[in-house]
Amino acid sequence: MDLQALSVESANIARRESAWQRVRRNWSVRIGGAAIALLLLVALAAPWLGTVDPTLFDAASRDLRPGQSGEIMTLDGELLKHEFLMGSDSFGRDIHSRVMYGTRVSLLVGIATALLALAFGIVLGLSSGYLRWLDGPLMRVMDGLMAIPAILLAIVLVAMWRASVLTVVLAIAITEIPRVTRLVRSLVLSIREEPYVEAAISLGTPTWRIMFGHILPNCVAPLLVQGTYICAAAILVEAILSFLGVGLPPDIPTWGNIMAEGRVQFMAYPHNLFFPGVFLALTVLAVNILGDGLRDTLDPKMAKRV
Amino acid sequence: MSVLEVRDLTIALPPGGDRREAASRVNFSVERGEIVCLVGESGSGKSVIAQGVMGLLPRGLPVTGGAILLQGEDITRAPQHRLRELRCTRMSMVFQEPMTALNPVMSCGDQLDEVLREHTALAPAARRGKILDIVREVRLPDPDRMIASYPHQLSGGQRQRIMIAMALVLEPALLIADEPTTALDVTTQAQILRLILDLQARHGMGVLFITHDFGVVAEVAHRVAVLRLGELVEFGAKDEVLKRPRHGYTRMLIGSVPALKPQARAAAGEAAPVVLAARSLSKTYRDRSWFAKRRDVPAAADVSFEVRKGQTLGIVGESGSGKSTVARCIVRLIDPSGGAVLLHGTDIAGLRAGALRPLRRKIQIVFQDPYRSLNPRRSVLEAIIEGPRNYGVPRADAVERARRLMELVRMDPESLARYPHQFSGGQRQRICIARALAMEPELLIADEAVSALDVSVQAQVLSLLEEIRERLKLAMLFITHDLRVAAQICDHVAVMSQGRVVEYGPAAQVFGAPRHAYTRALFDAAPGRDFAFGAA
Repeated sequence: MDLQALSVESANIARRESAWQRVRRNWSVRIGGAAIALLLLVALAAPWLGTVDPTLFDAASRDLRPGQSGEIMTLDGELLKHEFLMGSDSFGRDIHSRVMYGTRVSLLVGIATALLALAFGIVLGLSSGYLRWLDGPLMRVMDGLMAIPAILLAIVLVAMWRASVLTVVLAIAITEIPRVTRLVRSLVLSIREEPYVEAAISLGTPTWRIMFGHILPNCVAPLLVQGTYICAAAILVEAILSFLGVGLPPDIPTWGNIMAEGRVQFMAYPHNLFFPGVFLALTVLAVNILGDGLRDTLDPKMAKRV
Repeated sequence: MSVLEVRDLTIALPPGGDRREAASRVNFSVERGEIVCLVGESGSGKSVIAQGVMGLLPRGLPVTGGAILLQGEDITRAPQHRLRELRCTRMSMVFQEPMTALNPVMSCGDQLDEVLREHTALAPAARRGKILDIVREVRLPDPDRMIASYPHQLSGGQRQRIMIAMALVLEPALLIADEPTTALDVTTQAQILRLILDLQARHGMGVLFITHDFGVVAEVAHRVAVLRLGELVEFGAKDEVLKRPRHGYTRMLIGSVPALKPQARAAAGEAAPVVLAARSLSKTYRDRSWFAKRRDVPAAADVSFEVRKGQTLGIVGESGSGKSTVARCIVRLIDPSGGAVLLHGTDIAGLRAGALRPLRRKIQIVFQDPYRSLNPRRSVLEAIIEGPRNYGVPRADAVERARRLMELVRMDPESLARYPHQFSGGQRQRICIARALAMEPELLIADEAVSALDVSVQAQVLSLLEEIRERLKLAMLFITHDLRVAAQICDHVAVMSQGRVVEYGPAAQVFGAPRHAYTRALFDAAPGRDFAFGAA
């Protein structure tokens, strides 16, 4: 039996890095993650970043250029000295305050939409991938949803309901659900053929536990990547809806709303569009870079294909 | 001058691997008109050496020392354009999997033509003549039709013949064959081996033949080089190495090759109760789509056998013979379309899920691929206790049972907390066996359970299965394509071909005096069947 010690099997097995270790070493993840962490911090700390209430306006401080000082009246009628870091708009509102508070809306919409779309997509995709009789009807509904341009569908949905953060999130999520469902379904279709799933069947594991205990955990990596892309897309769509005037009401500070109001006097006062535009671009870029990094480390096969 | 001389070849592995070098100071040579077999288990570096000879090493695996001399010319220092000239004209390679080695969207003739266009200045008509000649030479029927076909229209053996034709069309001095028959059925393998031997004798090229199968070595080799973890442990004439191995590793490998003769076994009582009986079991796949005509594909038809307590029934057959379909019908991973599966006399073939559930645990299965049989995101402990927990065993008892089973399969119970990727293939297969045994089954099905394992590991797992069957008085259904393995472990054998059982009887009888023509063909095709391994 001592000869068996010579078997190649008794050689050391290489210690593999865990996925988490690989993710942490990836520069895309680090840069994207740091930028998003910074934006989250901005969103949370908005009241302490030299801002005033973003809904305040003062006719005396209209169309100030970035860096100019002026006065602004609070709701109590108190006059405050205020430095307009990013200038003011045609109502005399502080753009700096509006952009900082707008970060909250954008991140909230992005993250909430991603979570909502993933949650529904996972349930629908798992069902249609594993329960074959559901596949046909469910996927045809999804095909139908995908046939309508996402932004038009979102506009219609928001127009049907009263515009609020919840309805905007719902409207954008609904347009993303078919894509997640398709992704999950395709993953399920390949994972359900794996011998470990068949082993679980022969061990008498109930169907729902196979779906959520064996199949779902093995879908996590691609879903995480997909989640970041949905988040970026949702931030953009929310800005588009606001810009078109069909999103959140104009008094709520969102980047799209700020840009929509600044549009008419863009030639005279470009700062109205510049600052929210830069924030929007950076946020979407950061989320996408994070997603790319995650994809490279978690889902090497997909990374090669794209 | 040797056709190929490998001198002190050292190939580095990327940092962070399990060892520093893929090949360490390897020396061997291939003479004109000679077949040298490079043998080793997985991870021994044999394919890396072949890639090195072809100049195909990926950037992560640089040659850090030594030389590869092809007819005196050092390949390790040759520039890319020189390598491109040498490939196909002086050295050629045949790969393991012809389906992926051939371009699926190019006809076989065009792929052959590409070789000639790159390397010769022949006119189209002359090229076509040469292609037809070589296709005839590799004994493909109807050459005109063959060169017009696409790879998916050919069988595995035909594809491999096209690969060989492509490799030999320019009469290279060296042919490298990297496991060329591993993906093929045993009867096809025998034909391809004979073809390579014939062509080699006629053209007199040197052949570097890479394989893990000692039967194949015995069949084709003149000289044998044995590799272990990147080091050459033994190099010599075939008879020397196979019959009088000097190195302990070679001895161990050769000792692990199962003999083709059935072992004399303690006559397991014919009076033992029948655990499982299949009666005219059949499975027909029905291709149904909206507009196409309905197509019935019979995967298994009229399969009958029985397995008694404490006995092993082997189901032997080539790929597509329906042997795995039968196994999956019995475990009810798929629903049989006809016949009966009697478990202690109860027909489970048509039982609904609810009624089947209490009986499921009595039949357990171990699959072929140890890398895909365990959920990568679950620890070994979770995998083993999953079954018992499903049937209401309290967690503490299930954990206790898992620890006992780990000892039974010769694994450290302390490693229960680890995840599958931390184990080797053989260890994973032991874990899968433990997982199946945790259900306390009465019938254990091993579906090609040792086919993916290296020969030394295979021997260990086989003896483990034997021991478990003996100790727990299990009935076992052992499905394999490998006659040698079947001879080691089976009391009874059923030979399947094209969905039907063509021969069924006690192992000694089937192996000693096969009656059906197909069984005899299988035996004749088994590589190295007449070779006495390790016998001086």
